[in-house]
Amino acid sequence: MSQLFLIAFRNLVSHGRRSLFLGGAIAGVTTLLVFLGCLSSGVKQTMLESALTVATGDMNVGGYYKVTAGQSAPLVTDYKKVQEIIQKTLPDLDFVTARGRGWARLVSDQASMQVGIAGVDMAHEPRLPQVLKLKEGNLQDLAKPGNVLIFENQAKKLKVKAGDSLVFSVLTDRGVNNTVDVKVCGVAEDMGLLTTFNVFLPQETLNKLDQTNESTTGAVLIYLKNRRRIPQDVDLLRKALTGAGYNVVDRSSKAFWMKMQEVNKEEWTGQKLDVTSWDDEISYVTWTLSAIDGLSFLLTTVLLVIIAVGIMNSLWIAIRERTREIGTLRAIGMRRWRVMVMFVLEAFCLGVLGTAAGAVLGSFLALILNAMHLPVPAGIQFFTMSTTLKFALDPARILGGMAIITFCCTVISLIPSFKAARMRPVTAISHVG
Amino acid sequence: MPKNTEGQDIVSIQNVIKEYHLDKVVVPALRGVSLSVEAGDFLSIVGPSGSGKTTLLNLIGCVDVATSGTVLIDGHDTKSLNDRQLTDLRLNTLGFIFQSFNLVPVLSVFQNVEFPLLLQRKFTKEERAKRVDELLEKVGLDKHTQHRPSELSGGQRQRVAIARALVTRPKIVLADEPTANLDSVTGENIIDLMKEMNRVEKTTFIFSTHDAKVMSHANSVIRLADGKITDGKGAKAGAH
Ligand SMILES: Nc1ncnc2c1ncn2[C@@H]1O[C@H](COP(=O)(O)OP(=O)(O)O)[C@@H](O)[C@H]1O
Ligand SMILES: [Mg+2]
Repeated sequence: MSQLFLIAFRNLVSHGRRSLFLGGAIAGVTTLLVFLGCLSSGVKQTMLESALTVATGDMNVGGYYKVTAGQSAPLVTDYKKVQEIIQKTLPDLDFVTARGRGWARLVSDQASMQVGIAGVDMAHEPRLPQVLKLKEGNLQDLAKPGNVLIFENQAKKLKVKAGDSLVFSVLTDRGVNNTVDVKVCGVAEDMGLLTTFNVFLPQETLNKLDQTNESTTGAVLIYLKNRRRIPQDVDLLRKALTGAGYNVVDRSSKAFWMKMQEVNKEEWTGQKLDVTSWDDEISYVTWTLSAIDGLSFLLTTVLLVIIAVGIMNSLWIAIRERTREIGTLRAIGMRRWRVMVMFVLEAFCLGVLGTAAGAVLGSFLALILNAMHLPVPAGIQFFTMSTTLKFALDPARILGGMAIITFCCTVISLIPSFKAARMRPVTAISHVG
Repeated sequence: MPKNTEGQDIVSIQNVIKEYHLDKVVVPALRGVSLSVEAGDFLSIVGPSGSGKTTLLNLIGCVDVATSGTVLIDGHDTKSLNDRQLTDLRLNTLGFIFQSFNLVPVLSVFQNVEFPLLLQRKFTKEERAKRVDELLEKVGLDKHTQHRPSELSGGQRQRVAIARALVTRPKIVLADEPTANLDSVTGENIIDLMKEMNRVEKTTFIFSTHDAKVMSHANSVIRLADGKITDGKGAKAGAH
């Protein structure tokens, strides 16, 4: 067997140009696959990071509160009780924290923009300081009422920096404009799409802006020790909340905000809760991941077909060139299947070497582009959820891609190899040319 | 299966007809050939080009089957064997030397000679190395074991081929015009070497040639013309 390997390998080497061309094509496809894979993983990581910390938690309990049937507010009333149920129900809970949810116009001297507001209680936000990277100012001040933490892109748009004043303005139910003056206590580094329209405000200040009371919050964010248990935990918590007498809306993997319109059409009034996981919350953008993956699948498939044709052709040529050799080997006692293996190994070696080169190249390319922090055009930021292009190496995915491509190369080579093995030794030996 | 013992016929051919079918034309290559070869013989098949030498050697070599008649090789009727059994018969009982050497170009001299032993899977690495080195020394190529065939002269390549044919200690070695691609001095050296091997290893050699000088080295000679034996030990179906 090792001798067959040697023959295959040396034949590849001795037909350097042909092998280089085909191997190069295989390497190219692998590079593309690895590169797109890194992009997909990178985007996914960014999404996860920004979604988890900025908006959703690993999972969360949100609430729809309706005073009249047609109008719901994103509120969880008496949230302390909900927190107690969570703490009792989920065995692998890390911590819970309440986040107010709001929607207001943020106005500076020079500009204004519509923003989502997360009302935070810094005493119960152990992860926020780890994740938010401040460009200016400091995060501790967010514990004090009247401060706001904004992100770089917002600071640019509003033309403000740490220490400057801003005004929040909301239209209340009664049609009056309610405003609150705040000071920018810090500007944080952008962390993807969600940070382009979200700001952080002390819960107390948000309550003042929305004129809600302290026992009410927007959502209870849940952080787990083990993220793999999320689907079970969502079910567990739904049952527990229902058991405690809460109305819980039906499970659907949509973002909280997406469901609001549906809830508004329903007849009931009062409080209903909803339990969602982080991927529900960003489900409206996770299709971009599927799109990237689909695109790489499609491209790879098309290119693989082309390569398969190339491999077949090159093996046909090799078999014609080496017909007499095949005849000789068969004459001196080589069994058919070994002839087949000899040629299949050639394609296999080519596959292994080509994909290895491609994987290295693709990873390298991804790492370099990652280090360059290429800006994502504004229009696409919504889909990538980040302002710079991020790539992440996923070894399992890279190895998987290599295996699949090598497998395809090997399988396709079975056809010509089989024909080579079927040749009658006598015709093969007397073959001229 | 009957096995031949020393002195008996190791090849036995009876009334063999071989026809090639080219489109709708039937080309008769052998027209009723009968022949027996004793073990240990050094037999030459001679005849003009197109007389059927290669065809006959292919039948003895089990790479082709007769249209009719029987071919017994070391007691095995080749018609009754399937491809795999024929392959194993070629591997273990037969050795081949070709007109154009037919070495594997990407393997070294040593690896070319060792190859049939690897196919046999009967010997350890050390046993193989011993056998190969021994043979390469006998054919005078012990200084060239790591060369590739392309680095050798025609005569040297044919010596490698002889070593490869003998490495499994086959009962019969077949050589189809082994000297045709060599100059006459080199050609004669090759025949001398084959004869030496025939003497030392007791291997039966059957070789074809159309060179009278080469033929003169043989113990026995069979003459073919137009697909029939005209002279020699099996010449029953011959001349008249
Ligand atoms: N594969 C083949 N197809 C058709 N005819 C063949 C084939 N091989 C040999 N022949 C014919 O059979 C006859 C004997 O050929 P061959 O055995 O090669 O003779 P030699 O080896 O003595 O030159 C010739 O007439 C040749 O044309
Ligand atoms: Mg011939």
